[in-house]
Amino acid sequence: EETGEDENYEFGKGDFTEHACRYCGAQNPACVVRCNVPSCRKWFCNSRGNTSGSHIVNHLVRAKHKEVCLHKDSPLGETILECYNCGCRNVFLLGFISAKTESVVVLLCREPCLSVNALKDMNWDLSQWCPLIDDRCFLSWLVKVPSEQEQLRARQVTAQQINKVEELWKTNPDASLEDLEKPGVDDEPQPVAFKYEDAYQYQNVFAPLIKLEADYDKMMKESQSKDNVTIRWDVGLNKKRVAYFVFPKEDNELRLVPGDELRLRYSGDAAHPTWQSVGHVIKLTAQEEVALELRASQGVPIDLNHGFSVDFVWKSTSFDRMQGAMKTFAVDETSVSGYIYHHLLGHEVELQVVRNTLPRRFGAPGLPELNASQVFAVKSVLQKPISLIQGPPGTGKTVTSAAIVYHMAKQGQGQVLVCAPSNVAVDQLAEKISSTGLKVVRLCAKSREAVSSPVEHLTLHYQVRHLDASEKSELHKLQLLKDEQGELSSSDEKKFKALKRATEREILQSADVICCTCVGAGDPRLSNFRFRQVLIDESTQATEPECLIPLVLGVKQVILVGDHCQLGPVIMCKKAARAGLAQSLFERLVLLGHKPFRLQVQYRMHPSLSEFPSNSFYEGTLQNGVTINERQSTGIDFPWPVPNRPMFFYVQMGQEEISASGTSYLNRTEAANVEKIVTTFLRSGVVPSQIGVITPYEGQRAYIVNYMSRNGSLRQQLYKEIEVASVDSFQGREKDYIILSCVRSNEHQGIGFLNDPRRLNVALTRARYGIVILGNPKVLSKQPLWNGLLTHYKERECLVEGPLNNLKQSMVQFQKPKKIYS
Amino acid sequence: SIQVRQKVVQVDPKEEDDFDRELRALMQESIESRRSDLRARPALNMTIPMNVSEGIRDHPRAVEGESGEETVDEEGVSGALNNKVRVKVLVKRGNKQQTKQMFIPRDSSLVQSTKQQEAAELEE
Ligand SMILES: [Zn+2]
Ligand SMILES: [Zn+2]
Ligand SMILES: [Zn+2]
Repeated sequence: EETGEDENYEFGKGDFTEHACRYCGAQNPACVVRCNVPSCRKWFCNSRGNTSGSHIVNHLVRAKHKEVCLHKDSPLGETILECYNCGCRNVFLLGFISAKTESVVVLLCREPCLSVNALKDMNWDLSQWCPLIDDRCFLSWLVKVPSEQEQLRARQVTAQQINKVEELWKTNPDASLEDLEKPGVDDEPQPVAFKYEDAYQYQNVFAPLIKLEADYDKMMKESQSKDNVTIRWDVGLNKKRVAYFVFPKEDNELRLVPGDELRLRYSGDAAHPTWQSVGHVIKLTAQEEVALELRASQGVPIDLNHGFSVDFVWKSTSFDRMQGAMKTFAVDETSVSGYIYHHLLGHEVELQVVRNTLPRRFGAPGLPELNASQVFAVKSVLQKPISLIQGPPGTGKTVTSAAIVYHMAKQGQGQVLVCAPSNVAVDQLAEKISSTGLKVVRLCAKSREAVSSPVEHLTLHYQVRHLDASEKSELHKLQLLKDEQGELSSSDEKKFKALKRATEREILQSADVICCTCVGAGDPRLSNFRFRQVLIDESTQATEPECLIPLVLGVKQVILVGDHCQLGPVIMCKKAARAGLAQSLFERLVLLGHKPFRLQVQYRMHPSLSEFPSNSFYEGTLQNGVTINERQSTGIDFPWPVPNRPMFFYVQMGQEEISASGTSYLNRTEAANVEKIVTTFLRSGVVPSQIGVITPYEGQRAYIVNYMSRNGSLRQQLYKEIEVASVDSFQGREKDYIILSCVRSNEHQGIGFLNDPRRLNVALTRARYGIVILGNPKVLSKQPLWNGLLTHYKERECLVEGPLNNLKQSMVQFQKPKKIYS
Repeated sequence: SIQVRQKVVQVDPKEEDDFDRELRALMQESIESRRSDLRARPALNMTIPMNVSEGIRDHPRAVEGESGEETVDEEGVSGALNNKVRVKVLVKRGNKQQTKQMFIPRDSSLVQSTKQQEAAELEE
């Protein structure tokens, strides 16, 4: 608590002096700078106020302005900040260096001047380049931070207000913060509700959100063009051209996945004409290379390797299918049963029982025995028109789902449709269901037919090729011809397509179960199919409209499987996310009072590892289906601080920094210690495939991969085989040993991605035998859940520091957790 | 005078993430655009003018004529001298080189080399 004078407490009157901060009104000339963009020229101060960056940095980032000028009464006088050598004025690139032997400093840009080799020979000390903007604030000795008094008297402006006023300035540069109060400025979309009058109202809410997300996705992907791409050429087994190249990705931003379309271009030179071709991503290599299978076979400039451009080809298919499903839901009475219609809209409906004869046993052939909670789940859902199954980590969600699908298929209600938002999950389910002896067809998007799948033999395109491979078959002959020549004459192509369509239909119709992604359920090849019984796995990772696609094919009985305590769907557009698009149908039904069946026995984690997640995320209900003995790492000599408790929090105090790409974070100290831990594991007899390194930041992921291969003391190949991935991409998977690098370590900026409790849950529940967490307790302990985790580790004497071969209990003081107001 | 309770600073994590993303995007775009712009490979023009270095050697605490700063720091000159170091900031006005005097914190990484130099001077 602070006291302050309150004499001329007059903020918000709008009559500031010219150089007053446009956000907060602070007007000390030593504390303000002017944005030097001609159309802007506004002044901002260097205080953080209620935001994590100073006002001037907030403005520059939000307005994407990059130049500033100091005040005439400031120590340096009226000066535009620029690189002493080249005149570059981009403040995000500038920093000070000092002379080796004089008390002289200059501003120098990071790119390219700081890396000019000739400078090293001169009188300048390049090792201590000191960025102008540090911790999101201008260097406070250059632009002062207003005193506490000054800050208290200034307007208390929030990040939201800053955002809005910056948005407003784009159309009205003279607007003030007061103008925000006026109506019409804030055109947030209508938020999602719990209940809807009817499917039209439902559509009215969701259609604009899907549109927002689609527009954002389009804008973002189309802005991802890259020039000067270097290509490595290859030929695939199907004789198609494959181009390999590096296409940088960012945290949480564009993630390429197999099946995405990219356009490869060459602008031409004296010896080569202009060329371009579209292709499908068929895989992403461990070296972060993209493999693109080109559509064109002729005229590919394979004698060239440099100077190509790559664009993302955005396709609206998935969004169109969501919009289509909502429309069908509204206009077609037969799209879903009456009961499901009302239940989904949140109407009170009298409970209905599905009159199905129950099987005598609830397990299924080819699957492991079910435990009590699994049997209970199978039994209950078979007689309900709509059910939710919550599967915490390692509780046998897939086996339970497969058993349910087996019994539904045996009820003779027609084919069962099984979906999940991700291809990986669909493949896993298809495999499990197939092992019960049911006839399963895995329907893949056309663009993914070249992508290798672990259930290749179940895919429709594989079955089409191998159904009738006899010499006489016309389809087979044409297929061979096409493979040989790359293409067919137009009449043959027509015939080929018709034959293929007929064969596809035949195979699909003869299946007991069809598996595809939720979006895949909108495939035209299924348009004439009706499915009364639908199971959606990972449904908590799908948006509502996405979930609706498989439902509107005539569903009468639906089972949604998922876990709303793990990560939800990824929504890129903030506005849409804020309005609630990131809330899954599963989650909404839970909020409406629909109680999910919870699978309660986990078979993954050592009991010590499941304790905290069980208590923090599942009200302590998670039971252990594995014993300590079954999870004992026999013969593994690893320095766990407490025997029989294969976990520790390894205290790290190294600073975070923005990664080389400028788009993410890394933490060198943590990376170095990750390598030491990995090496210790490997030395003690653990093999690379047992270890997973996870971190929320792409920058750290890339840095760790690089660091281990350069500095690891064992054979390089061993480190290359270790999977280093993001928390999000590890959802649904497991490893024997998990090393979690938290990365964030700073005074002011908070912990970013780590804030989401669901992400922490996912991170903590991937390991079977042991987990090591690396992080800065001082920073993490500010967040209540992390504070709880740290306390848990400390109480169990698993909060340690020091060298790995001599770990000591850490006495580091935690910070008081801040309360979260939502 | 009135007691003013200091507000607990609450940063909305969503805004936070969002700001973070935009800052990083801006950084990346800045670096990338400079990297790909081949014209931005300037000739070196980084020599320290003779008058500047000589000025420092002759009068280590000399006051530069055109500087506006000596006593701007509220801690006063003596305070400034205790935990701050006086440096000259070299800037260009058009083609002319100018120096401005400033105080920077002694613990700034930038001062390390200057400190060493001072130590060397003391030994002389
Ligand atoms: Zn501006
Ligand atoms: Zn301000
Ligand atoms: Zn420069």
